Amino acid sequence: MWKYQKLLEHPVNIKNPDPALAKLIITQLGGPDGELGASLRYLSQRYSAPCREVQGILTDIGTEELGHMEMISAIVFQLTRDLSEKEIREGGFDAYFVDHTTGIYPVAATGVPFSASIFQSTGDAIADLSEDLAAEQKARLTYDNLLRLIDDPDVREPIKFLREREVVHFQRFGEGLRMVQDMLDSKNFYAFNPSFDK
Amino acid sequence: MALSDKQLMQKKIQACEFTLTDVILYLDSHPNCPDGLEYYRKHKAMLEKAVADYEKTYGPLTAMGVCDDEKKWTWATTAFPWERSEN
Repeated sequence: MWKYQKLLEHPVNIKNPDPALAKLIITQLGGPDGELGASLRYLSQRYSAPCREVQGILTDIGTEELGHMEMISAIVFQLTRDLSEKEIREGGFDAYFVDHTTGIYPVAATGVPFSASIFQSTGDAIADLSEDLAAEQKARLTYDNLLRLIDDPDVREPIKFLREREVVHFQRFGEGLRMVQDMLDSKNFYAFNPSFDK
Repeated sequence: MALSDKQLMQKKIQACEFTLTDVILYLDSHPNCPDGLEYYRKHKAMLEKAVADYEKTYGPLTAMGVCDDEKKWTWATTAFPWERSEN
């Protein structure tokens, strides 16, 4: 089971609200390559992982992603504090505001609500880990795209931390995939589901 | 079926944790209740002892629970709880 700790994985302290930026960054909460989807993906896939090392990697990265979801939520929360009606309208935050005021709701930057259809849990470790590698790259490039549009150092700093974690997770999943492939034998050279076809 | 020693120790931890989960919810809405606080402290101490005893014998319950004298990383080499025989 899980326990909650009242401490972010990395600090988030933003001086200046910026609703336009919040509207973009929220995509890493509820978007197609966001932290909520990442966490659900790994925590769903871990049951069919064929060895404990990969079960461990999926459990621990899935757990860390929950912490990243909290960091993104904290960034959006701080970027949308004390907004005037003028700021809401001029920052393009008005459509979100009508539905959610300044509550935190998992949507993509385009406004599409979070959907589990953005990830898979196939029961096949090679397929799952290949998806996980792609997912970490997609999250990394989303952070790269965000960093192209962010000037405020208070916002850049936690986003850069999150970007670096995507790179580390990509490495760990690469090792997990290699472990699973090393378990294959000559009877299963083409890597048909090593979780199911024992 | 009789419970194994491992299952008995797990049961004790689960009981302490559930007790704490429940009293924590109570204290969230009754933060000034001295009896609630005392109940919390008593079960927190029981849980800490039960977890330390379990981890010494059966391996870590969390990634922070790997014992100091372990020669290798036992977090990802001991069983995960969704395996049927493990709980």
